[in-house]
Amino acid sequence: MTPFILLFPILLAMGIITTVRYLAARYAKYIALAGSLASLALLPLVGYGSYSLTWFSFSGISIGISSVIAPLNMLLLAIVLIVAPIILFYSFGFMQTLSEQRRFYIEMLGFEAAMLLFAMAGDLVTLFIAWEFLSLLSYLLIGFWHTRESASRAARKAITIVLIGDIAVLASIAIFWSLYHSLSLIAILSGTPSNMIYLYLAAILMIIAIITKSAQFPFQEWLPDAMEGPTPVSAFLHSTTMVKAGVFAMLLLYPLFYATKTLWILVLLGGITAVLSTLNAMKETQIKRVIAYSTVQELSLMIIAAGSGAIVACLYFFLAQSFYKALLFFSSGSAMKASGEEDLNKVSGLGANRLLYITTIFGVLALAGFIPFAGFFINLGIGSSLLSNVYAYALISLISLSTSFFIFRWFLLASKKPLTIKTELSYSALPKSMLYSSAIVLAFLLLSSFAFFYLPNFLSSSFSIQSFKFAAPNISYFDAVIETCIVAIGALASYLIYKKKKSLRNAALIYTVYNARLVNGAYAHFSKYFCGFAEGFMTLDSYINDAFDGLGKMTILSGEELRKVTSGSINLYLAVFSIMVVILLSYIYFSGVL
Amino acid sequence: MTISTNQVFFAVLALLLFGNLIIKAAGKKRAQLIWNIIFLAAMAISAGIEMQLPSHDYFNVVSFNPFSLFFLIIFTLGMLLINLLAFAFSEDYGDFAMLSVFALVGMYLVSLSNSLITIFIGLELASIPAVFMLMLSKRSIESATKFFIMVSIAIAMLSFAIVLFYGGTGGVSLSETAHSQLLLFALMLFIASLSIDASVFPFNLLIPDIYEGSPGYLVSMLGGLNKKVAFAALIQVLILSFLSYKSAFMVVAILSVLTMFYGNIVAIMQKNLKRMLAYSSISQAGYIMIGIATATQTGISASLFLIFAHMFAFIGLFGVVAWLENKRRTRIEDLAGLSSENGLAAFAIALFTLSFVGMPFTTGFIGKFFVFLSAVNSGMLWLAFLGVLNSVISIFYYSKVILAAYSEKNAARRLHMQPAVFAAVIITLAITIVFGVYPQPLLSFANSAGAYLFRV
Repeated sequence: MTPFILLFPILLAMGIITTVRYLAARYAKYIALAGSLASLALLPLVGYGSYSLTWFSFSGISIGISSVIAPLNMLLLAIVLIVAPIILFYSFGFMQTLSEQRRFYIEMLGFEAAMLLFAMAGDLVTLFIAWEFLSLLSYLLIGFWHTRESASRAARKAITIVLIGDIAVLASIAIFWSLYHSLSLIAILSGTPSNMIYLYLAAILMIIAIITKSAQFPFQEWLPDAMEGPTPVSAFLHSTTMVKAGVFAMLLLYPLFYATKTLWILVLLGGITAVLSTLNAMKETQIKRVIAYSTVQELSLMIIAAGSGAIVACLYFFLAQSFYKALLFFSSGSAMKASGEEDLNKVSGLGANRLLYITTIFGVLALAGFIPFAGFFINLGIGSSLLSNVYAYALISLISLSTSFFIFRWFLLASKKPLTIKTELSYSALPKSMLYSSAIVLAFLLLSSFAFFYLPNFLSSSFSIQSFKFAAPNISYFDAVIETCIVAIGALASYLIYKKKKSLRNAALIYTVYNARLVNGAYAHFSKYFCGFAEGFMTLDSYINDAFDGLGKMTILSGEELRKVTSGSINLYLAVFSIMVVILLSYIYFSGVL
Repeated sequence: MTISTNQVFFAVLALLLFGNLIIKAAGKKRAQLIWNIIFLAAMAISAGIEMQLPSHDYFNVVSFNPFSLFFLIIFTLGMLLINLLAFAFSEDYGDFAMLSVFALVGMYLVSLSNSLITIFIGLELASIPAVFMLMLSKRSIESATKFFIMVSIAIAMLSFAIVLFYGGTGGVSLSETAHSQLLLFALMLFIASLSIDASVFPFNLLIPDIYEGSPGYLVSMLGGLNKKVAFAALIQVLILSFLSYKSAFMVVAILSVLTMFYGNIVAIMQKNLKRMLAYSSISQAGYIMIGIATATQTGISASLFLIFAHMFAFIGLFGVVAWLENKRRTRIEDLAGLSSENGLAAFAIALFTLSFVGMPFTTGFIGKFFVFLSAVNSGMLWLAFLGVLNSVISIFYYSKVILAAYSEKNAARRLHMQPAVFAAVIITLAITIVFGVYPQPLLSFANSAGAYLFRV
């Protein structure tokens, strides 16, 4: 059946919440959850194949909304549809202000619908529309608490960076159209281009789009800032929607990057981002921002994996990361709500609630990469694909060691003994939905840990990347042991510094200061020029102002209006006018068209 | 003798004018509005019926065809909306209603024209009433003067261009074509003179002043209708008489790029809402020019769609701006708290600006999409790229407006919107969304209108 039916329950729920005002304020959450679950229930009805609806046609150009469902798309659809209801369920407890609920659930459902449309897109127009709506809704959700100055600034930063990507997509659509006179993905990926330079240009533009959406260097800054949104939004944004869209687009267009040999650009940018974000995660003290930096790092690892040919590892990462990232955001949100603090040095008592504690431990183990959890297979997959390059392998190992270090640091700091009895009590008073949703997502996380062995078979028929190897990497015991050692060392270091030997914290402090001075100097420099694009643009104003002031502000409404009209500006206008006419005439005279 | 529909059309027009005069004399504002609405609707209908007849040419000066029908209908509808706005805001609606009908007749003449003389008279008839409308309000005397100067330059240039055209071809019919040096000069003068009203850089330097100094509802007419009349004339002249002059279209392409960059870059630093939107509408003229520059049927049709999209979004937007202006809120910061004071106004501002940016499911998206597509199709990838680049730049200042409209203010109280303004905003919103989601009928219409010009 056509995959568009998946959108229907969600759009219906949105419609109900929008129109039925009085009912909706109290029941918005139930309607939203029902809509989201209904669309999950419809997923088994969706079959592989391509589907299209004509939207409009013009001068023989027919533009439609079309969809191609291959295993790759099915994977993303399933992830979104499973994670979305859990996050909505979590929001039951988190979003308790009644007046905010309608807006929140409408925007969340819209976000889900946009991501589903993106996951099923079969042509560039559909892809672009979904992409654009993702940008817009992420903007609304990040700036959800728009009365906070920091929230609206973060939202503005996000939209500015993401819109650069949108325009890049639009420009690449123009190129693809001029190359193939078709916008269907299959036609684009299988066609033979008439002009290789155009194809390169299109590939570069798509890379820009991917790195803006997936928050890669030099555009990575918007994602940690996006933590200003409510926690369920962060969980949604980081686990399934939005940032995954970039990686997914990369996989969807893999043959394009392969043919133009531009994968190395993505790998390089991914490598830079991985290093920067790992360092930042190690010194960050805001509870959600640590997790956010880890997302940036994971995205870059996914891109590195895909770029170096380990597509199965990348997709497995894609799948498993959704669950543990949602889980960790749930934990952060719960800890923030219970302790009322956001600074890791002040947050305490994660262990006060047994269920929360246990689920968080599993999440941390999965992220760090302990054996048999998801992160372990991810590290193995990526590591084995990079074995040929010693430096890359060393770097990846170092990164996984640091990952293990910073996530345990996060965990140990957050789970220190509650400072007051009040905090402890508020942990036990956490809403049930927030705790149970952690448990549900944990169940999926454990299930997904073993998906590693089934994924290659599932994916082998995927249309876009069929010519690439799909065998699961062989896991040798040697690799496994090394991997485990690396992770254990990171965890141990973290344990020693943050739990046992307080004196070692001084060393950590020195490290942080050093890190801050060297890396962040360069980092801030880059982010100033690249990420502060919006601000940079605004500062450009003054320069442009000088240049255009003469033309732009030719007269000012003042007391002596008519005098000015007859003396000043009109003369200038006439002068410019006559000069332009002369230019036009001389152009036509000398261009020799006759 | 049987009565043909074109006679009905002109009879309705005459009734509209004389009815206006009589009701104006009686001093009944509301009756005049209702009279105008009824007869404007009747005119759109009779023009539609006229199209069903086999022969549409009259005296070699006027011709009913799909192209003219397209403009007849959008000008009628646009003028109707502006009547609603003026009813709410004008200090002297009686005079405005009269003048608006005269201006509309001028717009009809341009869209129906089959000869340069008709275009000339039509343009004059469309612009001169606008000068008087500006003079109706004491505050906009300066704007009126500037507009008058601008219009007179345009008319002088145009008449000279027509003289040269006559010298080159020996006729004034639009279908005349010939190749001579004289015609090249005529062509450039046509472009220059029509660019003035179409607010194309660098002939548009007075436009922001005029917009800033005029009341909002008149800006919605100047930018929504008068500018589009110039485009209707420009398209007809360029396509019908000068299609073989390829360099002319190169000039149009260059002018379009200059216009887009000028409008967008200067708009970024504006503090005054109307001035900023004035510059933004200049940049919109640049996008419309892209379609014309392709000199293909697809490009012209796409431009027609964009003209439609921009006209109604602009009228609606300036309806809201005029309403805000009445509440003495003219800077961008003054928009703060609008979403809680009047949800519709804030939504309208957001949607219309998003349509200007080219957000999917608005008319602006479809228009821009096809304009860029037509540029790519005719091998002008660079032009499409510069258009896309300009769309990015425009986001910076449009987002300022949207954010301001949706930012919070402490002491927000509900603000009431006059029923006439409410109606105008709702209609324009509906047009922008409905044809954004289901553009097929309008696309086919624009396509047939564009195809008519390329019928030979």
